Amino acid sequence: MSGWYVFGVADAGLAVELEGLRLVRAGQLAAVVAPVDPDEFTEEQLNDRPWLEEKVLAHEDVLSRYLREGPVVPLRFGAIYRQLDEVVELLGERRDELTEDLERVRGRVELGVKGWVDRGRLEETLARKRAMSPTSAPGRAYLERRQAERDVAAEASALLADVARSVHARLAELAVAAVANRPQPPELTGRAEQMFLNTAYLVPAADEALRREVGTLDEQHRELGLSFETTGPWPPYNFVGREEP
Amino acid sequence: MSDLTYQRHGGPAPAQLADVLERVLDKGIVIAGDIQINLLDIELLTVKLRLLVASADKAKEMGIDWWENDPFLSGRDGRHRLEERIKRLEEKL
Repeated sequence: MSGWYVFGVADAGLAVELEGLRLVRAGQLAAVVAPVDPDEFTEEQLNDRPWLEEKVLAHEDVLSRYLREGPVVPLRFGAIYRQLDEVVELLGERRDELTEDLERVRGRVELGVKGWVDRGRLEETLARKRAMSPTSAPGRAYLERRQAERDVAAEASALLADVARSVHARLAELAVAAVANRPQPPELTGRAEQMFLNTAYLVPAADEALRREVGTLDEQHRELGLSFETTGPWPPYNFVGREEP
Repeated sequence: MSDLTYQRHGGPAPAQLADVLERVLDKGIVIAGDIQINLLDIELLTVKLRLLVASADKAKEMGIDWWENDPFLSGRDGRHRLEERIKRLEEKL
């Protein structure tokens, strides 16, 4: 059994067939495809993490290589057709939408920004800043201390939300489009710090302004135990597709 | 045939695996392919990933659900509003 895995859609005038890949052309659009055995994509396999990671990384790698040649519209993982003719049909049926996306991302890339917090350090800093007044009776001291800890934790959460909001608003000013995603949990990041900001921005390909600003924001927030980093350039995964129903 | 196993050409660092999973499995255009790997399977997978990627409750617990109740910021609707706002700001300048 054979089939064709579709990675994404590129500009037919700019894209070339890279090793192991084929282009299916229809007008201005070129779908990037590779031969695949669809039977391999069983539910069991899909839930096998190492297998899935390998396929997902390959998907990303192909799109990133095409990003160097010109605009590319990423497809979500797992689009497989039996016949190349069906890929041509896909390009025809969704031509307007794909063309619109291709033009929107032309000459632009996606940058990811993540904000991290060392929660312990943040709360320590906030507790110090509070300069707690000396307590009275020994019995009350314990309760007051507990209350103060709760207050500090709430203050830390409020501060993180404020910082996340203002950083995102600031970075969005430097971007063509911006999107805020849910922060990833430690199970996925494998880091000791907690992620509190996970955003993506569509920016002109050679524009370093956003990356520089992230560096500045990072320096400004270090003292509080917060840090920011930029990832990418990525294919514009977060900036294609019409509104979901 | 397993042509999806390419030689990778300087792809993302391993630390970025989570970012790649999030993007490739959860973003990008959705089309209905016509093979065994139908949308149901993908949904299964995506649901699992979403659970891993973070439950809303957990985020709330950690006090980092700032984007959830903020239509201005959250999701695709937020993106468009943000674009509109930027456009308005640009017009003012």
